[in-house]
Amino acid sequence: MKKRYAVLGIALTAALALTGCTAGGSTAQNGNGVSGEPVKGGTLHVLQNADFSHLDPTMGFDGGVNNMYRLIYRTLTTQSTGEGAEGTEMVPDLATDLGTPNADATEWTFTLKDDIFFEDGSPITSADVKFGVERAFDPALAIGSPYARILLAGADDYQGPYISGDMPAIQTPDDKTIVFSLSKPFADFASAVGQNVFVPFPADGDVTATSVDQQPIASGPYRVESYQRGSELVLVRNEHWDPKTDEVRKAYPDSFVWTFGLDSSTVDERMIAGQGDDKDAIAGSVQAASIPRIQTDEIKERTISGIQGCTTYLGLNTTKEVMSDPLVRQAISYAVDKVSVQSGTGGTLLADVANTMLPPTVAGQTEFNLYQSDDDKGDPEKAKSLLTEAGYPDGIEFTMDIRNQPKMQAQAEAVQQSLAKAGITVNFNLIDTSTYYEVIGTTTQQNDAAITGWCPDWATGATFLPPLFEGSQIYEKGNSNIAQLNDPGVNSRITEINAMTDVDEANKAWGALDEQILELAPAVPLLFEKTVMVVGSNIAGAYSHAGFSGGIDYVSVGLASVPE
Amino acid sequence: MSTAPSQLAIEVDTVGASPGGGAPTPARRVISTLRRSPAVVLSVAYIVAVVLLAALAPVLASITGWGPYTYDPEAINADLGGIPIGPLGGISAEHWFGVEPQNGRDIFARIAQGAQVSLLIAVSATLVTTVVGVVLGMVAGFYGGWADQVISRVMDFLMAFPALIFMIALLSALPAGNRPALLVIVLSIFGWPYVARVIRGQTMSLKNREFVEAARASGAGNWRIVSREVLPNLRGTIIVLATLAVPGYIGTEAGLSFLGVGVMPPTPSWGQMIASAVGWYTVDPMFFLIPGTFLFLTVLSFTVFGDHLQKALDAGDAA
Repeated sequence: MKKRYAVLGIALTAALALTGCTAGGSTAQNGNGVSGEPVKGGTLHVLQNADFSHLDPTMGFDGGVNNMYRLIYRTLTTQSTGEGAEGTEMVPDLATDLGTPNADATEWTFTLKDDIFFEDGSPITSADVKFGVERAFDPALAIGSPYARILLAGADDYQGPYISGDMPAIQTPDDKTIVFSLSKPFADFASAVGQNVFVPFPADGDVTATSVDQQPIASGPYRVESYQRGSELVLVRNEHWDPKTDEVRKAYPDSFVWTFGLDSSTVDERMIAGQGDDKDAIAGSVQAASIPRIQTDEIKERTISGIQGCTTYLGLNTTKEVMSDPLVRQAISYAVDKVSVQSGTGGTLLADVANTMLPPTVAGQTEFNLYQSDDDKGDPEKAKSLLTEAGYPDGIEFTMDIRNQPKMQAQAEAVQQSLAKAGITVNFNLIDTSTYYEVIGTTTQQNDAAITGWCPDWATGATFLPPLFEGSQIYEKGNSNIAQLNDPGVNSRITEINAMTDVDEANKAWGALDEQILELAPAVPLLFEKTVMVVGSNIAGAYSHAGFSGGIDYVSVGLASVPE
Repeated sequence: MSTAPSQLAIEVDTVGASPGGGAPTPARRVISTLRRSPAVVLSVAYIVAVVLLAALAPVLASITGWGPYTYDPEAINADLGGIPIGPLGGISAEHWFGVEPQNGRDIFARIAQGAQVSLLIAVSATLVTTVVGVVLGMVAGFYGGWADQVISRVMDFLMAFPALIFMIALLSALPAGNRPALLVIVLSIFGWPYVARVIRGQTMSLKNREFVEAARASGAGNWRIVSREVLPNLRGTIIVLATLAVPGYIGTEAGLSFLGVGVMPPTPSWGQMIASAVGWYTVDPMFFLIPGTFLFLTVLSFTVFGDHLQKALDAGDAA
């Protein structure tokens, strides 16, 4: 299960941007500028640092690539468009509605719309959707969104259509109807089928396990015209996509061109200069060092910002002796100077201080602050007295896993410095960026603490709190419960909430559980990071989508004017 | 940032090629030659200043009131990406060299602390490589035979290695531990053959000189010949090699820290400061210029001093 920060790092440096919304607030846009209505046509350029992980939607799984998938692929449901919570609401896509559950929500029936086609003109049937989902179980492809594997009945023994053949948990009584049998009740299945493992592929075609990653088969408004890994991706219109069947995708430009492999500071320079084709370009969040340079009126007018919808937090490994005492963890929660962590990340424009685990974009998030200090600058005195109470009058010492990357290092140093004031000595274990998640996700290798991040897979607590704090989700490898919290009260509450059939009620319960968990202080929420993006002067309809790590929503953006 | 040892090797070859022996040059004459050169005087003055800066880092920090790790949120503008407040990167009476963006740490304190780290590593690596290089070089040169074969092949092997790449790989793979010590070890592993090769050549030519023959004829043992006859004649070469090695190691350590495999954060190092300043060069050029200037002048001073020392010693030989 992923979507943590590394992924995000790539998505962000690379791609795009942002969101607006609630707490993050948005800076500058006005009237007919970047938020105006785009026109049809033209070529929109995207400047990006790193290439997308995969073109096969069963494999790619991060905010940046999910955003791009919406241009090529359609799913049964998808996120809406618009800033903030408006954008993360689930709406029907290929399906006519959000699905019909049986009484206990273990069986879900969807009906497909009419006039939906693949890029070769063949109609999309329920068998194609079934085949697309089945592919996601293939061992070679099962690195993307895990929800089909988690939720569908019989998933444990099924290895995809190429090895195991037909999957009985998915039934297609006719060409328009598809029925999913789940292994347990799941009230929010309408959100799960918006994941990219629910993209249809022609069941009778020549789709192999690896062919999609090479040559995607489009169901959305664009198809891949050419792709050179690491340098360029060109999308052009898919003539067989019917806009009348699609209320989400506006698909303004005639084509999208990604340029990969640009240095982040080169991207910033080009976006700030905004000359030539770069007038029609968008890019990901600027670096902190570029913030002072985008304060002119001209650039402010084409700057958008928003929160990523993710939480950066300090996970405390509760299995380590020093961290096993909740008083110690609470002391750390009091002592951390979140403002200096914020400054190290790039200041107020690039991050908000977080006091809850759930980010404000998540439905049901409640505001609370269990460990208050003046201006969030940390309370070393309170921390010292808690440590004394815990039996450590002389302070403690622990080791924090950190990543060899400037921003992550700055955050770690800020935490180290603020804890030092409370008599807590933090030693660093510097880990190479490429192996960071492997190390902290391996229970035998992780140290006492680590700074990491989490983004929900859709905007509810269901994809946020259980992976991070449920006792049954502690795995020896690929572990995301890095606090290794296994608290009976939290575990039983998670089970109760998962069984709720009313999604709204469940969302509120997740918000309350957030507070219940933080009373145990298994993690210190640090920041809700934001993206600040400069777009070209000819860009319109750009806003930051909270469901895609704050990236600019590709299906809504376009050009303000197109030359004849 | 090439590893200076390779350049060093070339210069050192010329030393090795020069007539090796001769009586030890009177130190006083060398010093008076050096004192006549303004470049040397300036270099030495600068080196002394940096050494004082490094040695007095804690004292200076207590005078200014800003340690190398103390954050100063008042000195940066968190609403503008954390850029230092004030001109020239926040240079003020309080922060003499300004502050780092995003955290407000005092650059003067970090430069001083960084000088300590850099000099300590470079001087330690020089000591280790010189001792190892001189001992192994003399053994190879004096005894010849299989000892020479083994030592020379090991030197060839190490010198043929892509040292920088291997250092990066080694330092990334090793556990964190004591970084400065690890750096000294890694620098020394790849550094000693450059000393040993020169010493070996000079020892080979010295051992056939008349005064060695004379000592041998008068019944001196090997140890006595090596310590009383050969080593004193290598003194000038060793001093020059060591002086020229220091800037090489300072540069290499800065390079490794720049690449993120040097000393661990938050311990400051000039290379690390330069690396973190790269992104800020347009909005805060001083952050880049200050550690860059210190690094440049330090390497330059040691090199100028070493060059002139070599010339003065050679002139002594020729006289």
